[in-house]
Amino acid sequence: MEREGDGEKERKSIAEYRALLDQVNTKVEEKQYSEEVLALTSRLLKKNPEYYTIWNYRRLILLNHFARDVTTTLEHDSTPLTLSKSTNDIIVGDLQFIVPLLIQYPKCYWIWNYRLWLLEEAEKQVDKGTTVRLWKDELALVGKMLDRDERNFHGWGYRRNIVSQLERLAEPEQKTMAEQEFAYTSKMMRAALQNFSALHYRLKLIPKLLDERQADGAARRKMLDEELESMQEALIDPFNQSAWFYHQYLMSTLSEDCPRDAAIVLDLSRDDRIHYYEQEVERIKEMLEDFDDCKWIYEALVQYSIEYHQLTDIKPKNDLQFWLDELQRLDPMRSGRWKDLREALKL
Amino acid sequence: MALVSGPGRGGSGGGHTLPEELHLYIDKHVHYIQTLDTRKDEYEYWLTEHLRLNGLYWGLTALHLLGRPDVLKREEVLDFVFSCMHEDGGFGAAPGHDAHMLYTASAVQILATLDAFGDLETRVCGGRMRIGQFIASLQDRKTGTIHGDKYGEPDTRFIACAFMALSLLCLLPIINVPLSIRYIQSCANPDGGYGSSPGAESHSGQIFACLSALSIANALRTVNTDRLAGWLSERQITSGPGVGGLNGRPEKKEDVCYSWWVLSSLAMLSRRHWVDGEALKRFILSCQDEVNGGISDRPGDMVDVFHTVFGVAGLSLLGYEGLEEVDPVYCMPRSITRRILGK
Ligand SMILES: [Zn+2]
Repeated sequence: MEREGDGEKERKSIAEYRALLDQVNTKVEEKQYSEEVLALTSRLLKKNPEYYTIWNYRRLILLNHFARDVTTTLEHDSTPLTLSKSTNDIIVGDLQFIVPLLIQYPKCYWIWNYRLWLLEEAEKQVDKGTTVRLWKDELALVGKMLDRDERNFHGWGYRRNIVSQLERLAEPEQKTMAEQEFAYTSKMMRAALQNFSALHYRLKLIPKLLDERQADGAARRKMLDEELESMQEALIDPFNQSAWFYHQYLMSTLSEDCPRDAAIVLDLSRDDRIHYYEQEVERIKEMLEDFDDCKWIYEALVQYSIEYHQLTDIKPKNDLQFWLDELQRLDPMRSGRWKDLREALKL
Repeated sequence: MALVSGPGRGGSGGGHTLPEELHLYIDKHVHYIQTLDTRKDEYEYWLTEHLRLNGLYWGLTALHLLGRPDVLKREEVLDFVFSCMHEDGGFGAAPGHDAHMLYTASAVQILATLDAFGDLETRVCGGRMRIGQFIASLQDRKTGTIHGDKYGEPDTRFIACAFMALSLLCLLPIINVPLSIRYIQSCANPDGGYGSSPGAESHSGQIFACLSALSIANALRTVNTDRLAGWLSERQITSGPGVGGLNGRPEKKEDVCYSWWVLSSLAMLSRRHWVDGEALKRFILSCQDEVNGGISDRPGDMVDVFHTVFGVAGLSLLGYEGLEEVDPVYCMPRSITRRILGK
């Protein structure tokens, strides 16, 4: 319950906060889009970055400035309701203001949103070289954010966004950033093998990367083999869920239904598919020698055997029965799922 | 309804050991929600103003599910809801806050729950259509995606907000539904799940949003059901202190709100039995503050109304005795969605 001594402090915080809020509300209502009001919104947002309407006020102040900036340079008319700094300084200053907030509140949607909006608006105000430089700085910033929390999905989404902006702004003869981003996911994987966010991004990059390398059939197979190999290495710890899900991702590219823009090897024959399934199932079976208590192994065996069966019509009935029994034993909390599976397989 | 957290903590965090046989402290939770708006002497009350209309929806829904629909005074609730409405038909979080999809959806859910669409027309001329047009204005007519407001980035969550609100208002056809469905499909991943935009990692909150939209549009056939339900069932923690609870993504911590999003998603796919319901019940019940009421994200943390409604809704979906049935698509009482949608 409320600590007695803190009551006074709490009252003071509330009074200060509400007074500041009143002040901002009044000035924005009066359309006072000045530097002073911008500073007041900064103070308020530092206290409460979730207050989305205040971020919108900031947008209004900046938009007003951008709109007037053009007229003032044309007419040399000094309007009191605008910002005195140059457009460039304002953009850079605003970007700097947000960084500590982002670090303190990395999961706040409104901050990420505002930053993206600001950069998109900035593009209309500055030359292309500056725009590109601004986006490149963002890549460094989001790299730092992801070092702090390698699973922050805001950060990964922001990263994808920056990359697509930079690719849009690139000269036609320039390559995409797929190669560079692929290397980034390798770095993140080395730091933490359980980083599914990095693995997810990696799988989305591979088809693009191969297209850009103009990879032939052999190079594409090599890529798939290397990725499968690296997951086998990651699965030295068979309790690594991320590695299993990535393995499942890779296997899904073997399917005939895999869309072209998600495929790794483009000319897979039925025999190739059979080969890959046999190879992976064999490798996973070998894991059982060291781990007979890891349900993930049985789950993978069941899933891949079903897919193998669809390819070949070979039914590993006895094995399936045994693996499902083991799943039921090791993972009784999901017994409803194993029961449904058993029924679907008519076991 | 404020989102101010505490004062109590869920479960053993309060220092006392939990009784062997857990049950739901209905009266305590009702009292907890009822008194949320009297806590204006707390700084956090003012800092969470940007969530007030959501908070009202969460509190009201929890009260309905707890079987106490009349605890909040109808007229007072409606006065507040309408005080958040803008000329353009959108709703802000509180009076003076800008309109946004998140609050507009909550407003419509509250109006639906209180059977107040008639009040809407009386108080605001052409109110229903105005709300519909606000929502429709946020759809990108090229991609089908939906923005939160005129500035913000699109997100699959807002498609769910739009579909929920428009279907309750019987206005779904005013947007391009097939286009939004195609957009959702472009957000699907090989694990069967969905992210916030094409290319984004699967996430339980976004999966709930996408399945909810697909359910409303009668388009669940496009889902890779067994693959996704398998992924969702793996969200249940099977050992350690959080046993029974569900997380939002692989290798993340269990949380009562994710428990709702995962469980309701499984229910929409008719695979609720793919997780251990009894264990999940125990996990949610262990997150209650049995002294002052309220439910927290996990044992030991502060309670709040957000986790309270999702905890209660989860228990309802698990068939906990004495609770009203919840609709997994709308997170509203099933009796109300049945009345409005006729199904
Ligand atoms: Zn939570």
